[in-house]
Amino acid sequence: MIQASPSAWQDDPLSSMLSALPEKFIVDFANGIDVVRDHNALQRQRENSMYMRLFDGITGQGQKRQNAINASLADGLDGALTWLTELTGSLSRSNRTIELVQAKVATLQGNLTAVAHYSADTREQLARLTQDLTRKIDSLAHDVARLDLLQRAELQRDLVLSKWKAGRFSMLPIAGRCYATLEELRWGDFGHFYRQTTPARRAEHLELLENLVVAQLVADANIYSSQRQDSRLWLAIAPAGDYAGMQPALAYLGDWAQPEQSPFVYSAVNLPQTLPPNMPRLCSPVRLSHAMLEEVLVRETQ
Amino acid sequence: MTHTSRPPSRRTGLVLSGGGAKGAYQVGILKSLVENNIQVDAVAGASIGALNAAVLASAPTLKEGTARLEELWLSLAASPPLKHNLPGYLHLVLNAGMTMASGPFSNLLARTTTSAGLALASIHQHRPGLLSQDPLQALMGKYFVQENIAKGLPLYVSVFKSHGAFRDIADATLAEIGIRDTAPSEFIHIQALPADEQQKVLLASSALPVLFAAENIDKQQYTDGGLGGWQKSQGNTPITPLLQAGITDIIVTHLSDASLWSRHDFPQATVLEIRPHTSMARDGGASDLLGFDAEKITSWIQQGYNDTQTTVHRLAEINTARTSLRMSEQRIEAQLQTFPVLDKEMAAAMARINKP
Repeated sequence: MIQASPSAWQDDPLSSMLSALPEKFIVDFANGIDVVRDHNALQRQRENSMYMRLFDGITGQGQKRQNAINASLADGLDGALTWLTELTGSLSRSNRTIELVQAKVATLQGNLTAVAHYSADTREQLARLTQDLTRKIDSLAHDVARLDLLQRAELQRDLVLSKWKAGRFSMLPIAGRCYATLEELRWGDFGHFYRQTTPARRAEHLELLENLVVAQLVADANIYSSQRQDSRLWLAIAPAGDYAGMQPALAYLGDWAQPEQSPFVYSAVNLPQTLPPNMPRLCSPVRLSHAMLEEVLVRETQ
Repeated sequence: MTHTSRPPSRRTGLVLSGGGAKGAYQVGILKSLVENNIQVDAVAGASIGALNAAVLASAPTLKEGTARLEELWLSLAASPPLKHNLPGYLHLVLNAGMTMASGPFSNLLARTTTSAGLALASIHQHRPGLLSQDPLQALMGKYFVQENIAKGLPLYVSVFKSHGAFRDIADATLAEIGIRDTAPSEFIHIQALPADEQQKVLLASSALPVLFAAENIDKQQYTDGGLGGWQKSQGNTPITPLLQAGITDIIVTHLSDASLWSRHDFPQATVLEIRPHTSMARDGGASDLLGFDAEKITSWIQQGYNDTQTTVHRLAEINTARTSLRMSEQRIEAQLQTFPVLDKEMAAAMARINKP
């Protein structure tokens, strides 16, 4: 049985390329080797025998064999020359292509460098832009928050003052109404805004609040804003209303007030029989309002 | 085998030379050709090559034909196809005479006697040959399907017009010693013959050397086609009918060491020769020509396969390298064609980037 050839040829996917013979010079080039070897083998075999040499000489077969060898060698040289020419041409074309590709690579490298610089510049610009935008967005967010806080502060101020105006604190003495109003504002959005905002804005809002408080004190006491009256009147319990129920809460709120440092608040919260020494005996709405604001709001921001 | 529709310039012909029992070598060659998907579009044969060619041409495919040939040759190995028509001692004497001598004349004697086998028989034209073809004909009858030959591969065989045994021997001897060449063989397109003549021509061409009877065709004796054009193996290596059919890509197989047939006598053809890479000789002389025994046949089949693999492999490697080189050049060229467009696009892009 046939034993398979040990060569890897059978597995070569290009084997189908020989379904037809290649060009003549290729076949002559490759196949000439077989012809030369075939004749050479016989020549070597016969050169050892004088009779065979004689026979080959007489019959001309030796010369014919040598001619066949020579012709195949010439074919081989022709094929080699053709192939060398092809290879050289191919190499030349490859070199030209390499030159062209080198030039392209150089151009590409230059362009790539430009693009890299452009990219780096763009990145830096983007970083700066990002910083600017972040700053602007932060500022805008801050402004929005501040506006929101201002709005809420004003809303709370109006709400609390409207409660006072509506008589919700009527069971308290007038000074107590003023203190309760200011204390509620201090713990709410107004107080938060007051503490956060700039001194200039703080001063504006303090003045506005003071004016509103003065107006309400004027309304409650039914006097002029600068009209002084006995301080006891400011601390007088209203005839109607449940002051006793409210007093503990008021006292709790104002337990921080000391008679020396905060005589107005202390007096308004505790309604002492004897007024603290620092508490004026006569007091106008303006004086009361100013002092209360000073003790409740202004001091903690100083 | 169905004739292919490839144009003649793309067709491949196969020449199967004569050489007696060494025809087994051609089985190995065909195994390798089939294995490597090499197509064959026409076949020409002489002597044993004509027999092999006839089996191929009557098979549906080259692969099937090769398988049939292998089976036939292994049958030959198991059961020698030659039946003696003369006392056994005469055959022994004849063989011994051909193989004992070791000088150049042994080769001369073997070659001339081998090729003149039919001529020897035709010395006594009213007698059968010294060996009978009957067993061989029986085997051929099994593997050569004559009904299929009409639609098979174009088949050409060589035959030699005999002028009588003595003169044929003398002519071959003169040719062998280089004095005068034998007359050229004739080539016959088998499919062009009437069916009843086809087998006669095949038997004439393939009448194995030594002692077979000649065939009488149209009142003319025809013998082994290998005798014609002796000095250049014109008849024994019948490439001419393929060239006349317009086929120029041809695979030529040889059954002798250092055949003097030369591709250079056919410059118009692209010829791939399958030559033995080691000696074809086993015992030497007529003993090899009639060596239908298992050991020789299997060794020749293996040798034919190995030699063809080596030859085809070498050619394929060279061709593949060259084809790959060309293809890579074409791909590079195609890539280069895209450069102008890419250059333009890049220039436009860079202009945009560099725009102040």
